[in-house]
Amino acid sequence: MASPVGQEEPRQLPVRWGLSAHARRLLTLALAGLVIAIVTRRPEFAGLAAPALLLLATWRADRPRQVAVRASMPSTVVVEGIQTSVRIEIHGLADFWASLVVEPAETVSAGAAVTLPSGKPDRAASLRLVPVRWGRRSLGLLMITFSDRYRISEGRVLVQLPSVNCRPRPAQLTGSVVLSRLPSRLGEHPARATGEGGEFAGVREFVPGDRQRRINWPATTRHGTLHLSTFAAERTQNLVVIADETADVGEPGSSSLDLVLRGAAGAVTRYLAARDRVGLIIHARSLSWIGPGQGQRHASRLLDLMMASPGGWDRSVSLTRLPRAALPPGALILVFSPLLDPLLIEALRDLRERGFSVIVVDVLNAEPQYGRSTLSKLTAQIWRLEQEAIRFSLTQIGVPVVRWDGISSLDEPLAPYTRRVVVARR
Amino acid sequence: MSPRGQDPTARNRGEKRLPFPGIAVAAVLAAGTIWWSAAPLAGGSAGTRLSLTVAIVSGVLSIAQLAIAAAAGRDTDAYSATEQVALRVADLVRTLPWAELMTVAALTLEALHASRPWHTALLAIALTGYLFAVHLAETGAGASVLRAQLPLLAAGAGLTALAVGAAALPPLPSGPAAALLRVAAIVIAVVVAGLVLPAWLGRSR
Repeated sequence: MASPVGQEEPRQLPVRWGLSAHARRLLTLALAGLVIAIVTRRPEFAGLAAPALLLLATWRADRPRQVAVRASMPSTVVVEGIQTSVRIEIHGLADFWASLVVEPAETVSAGAAVTLPSGKPDRAASLRLVPVRWGRRSLGLLMITFSDRYRISEGRVLVQLPSVNCRPRPAQLTGSVVLSRLPSRLGEHPARATGEGGEFAGVREFVPGDRQRRINWPATTRHGTLHLSTFAAERTQNLVVIADETADVGEPGSSSLDLVLRGAAGAVTRYLAARDRVGLIIHARSLSWIGPGQGQRHASRLLDLMMASPGGWDRSVSLTRLPRAALPPGALILVFSPLLDPLLIEALRDLRERGFSVIVVDVLNAEPQYGRSTLSKLTAQIWRLEQEAIRFSLTQIGVPVVRWDGISSLDEPLAPYTRRVVVARR
Repeated sequence: MSPRGQDPTARNRGEKRLPFPGIAVAAVLAAGTIWWSAAPLAGGSAGTRLSLTVAIVSGVLSIAQLAIAAAAGRDTDAYSATEQVALRVADLVRTLPWAELMTVAALTLEALHASRPWHTALLAIALTGYLFAVHLAETGAGASVLRAQLPLLAAGAGLTALAVGAAALPPLPSGPAAALLRVAAIVIAVVVAGLVLPAWLGRSR
């Protein structure tokens, strides 16, 4: 199990003491009763103040000024929408009840408040938190309120909760697009070439040197000569995911950037789970990439790269300048983009001309706001036509464009390409 | 789940459950206190109606304050203008000390009536009970947290009884009844001291 992250040692934090709301109400009752008793010369009002005054008399002046608090997490890497927990340890103030309430940061949802009874010098609690959007951020602040057993005095302590790296929740993708030509690396996709795989490819005549265990006895009996079964070679596939982070349009939480990151995370996770080699290119203010690789550590690097790239666009860079390592020959290129950046569209055309098999997942789910005037309507119409033209032009050069709404599984738009092998054309 | 259907710019300050029983008890005690301090309405002097109005309004708002504070707080900029206004009103209700205002209004109502010591004693019990009910509903704590306060409350009730007795004594004719009351007052004072001293000495525990 991974060691907890966060503060290594408990931190001494100052406690701000004051009257509790309950004490203020009792004080009001006592003062009002005494004032009325004096003004009206009616002793029963003084008696009315007695219970409140007796409770207020338990006020303590010798309260500790500091308390040791430690906040830790199992891991600072979390996934959006997935619950995480922060462990809070309190050392000291054993005579006081402790109420833990989280003031969550933006886009973080907190669980219910936790109350720790008095009596133990070392107390601990786990607080439930759910980051609802990807990004690097603090989880928020924790307010610990200590109260004495008479509920008269209250001490407040503010604790900064750890910062987390919240990764986008991967889109669901169970199938995978497989190219007809795969590089000669051992993998799990049955290739057209015969080899040592497990998928049956056909039957052929036995030639000296063939393995006897592959003899197909039914075919041998039928033909009268030795025949053996052949199997498809199993190859790996190179996949390069291009995440277009130049635009972020639409409703927060389901914006084009949200969909780009969730889709890219889904594709990376799916293909790496299938033991393919996956690379990632982030198309943003500056280009950043990681060449294809395999394994859990590589997956972590790719997902971290998604979080690290700043948004926006710098016109001084172009996708075609990418080194060969980022775009290995014969790789399948899966692009998640709202197709709003002309430079990316040009780069996609260039990739196609260089012989790459490219599939674009269009995540545009918003339109510019237009007025009700005829001119505005006309402008909206022209914008839509332009968008359609962009997509049509890509389709015409052999770059399929599929729409994904971010709600359904990625399998739905990619179904035409996952059900059969995609023929790589040059 | 993905944040679809949930505003990602929102922050949810804890999933709180509305403590209906606690709020209901506080509401009943508030209503009872106001009614008890105002009755009989015709017996009050000038300003009774104004005090009654203030007590009712502040009593209702103190209960609303409990309900608003208990509701899960969602903070977002994505609300409409009407919702933003409602939020501001809710903030106002949450900020002002309505329970304190109701306490003062109820005591004023009682003071506006002619002296009636035993009536005031019952009001003291009802008001203290209301303030404790508000505290329990506000913190969501169970009644068991008041166990430590019971000796002090009992002592306070004794002192209230003493004060009420003192207020009721002058009209009493001299005789065995008055003597008995004086003895009872001394006994109550001793018991109160016995209850308060251990609690006061042990407050640092």
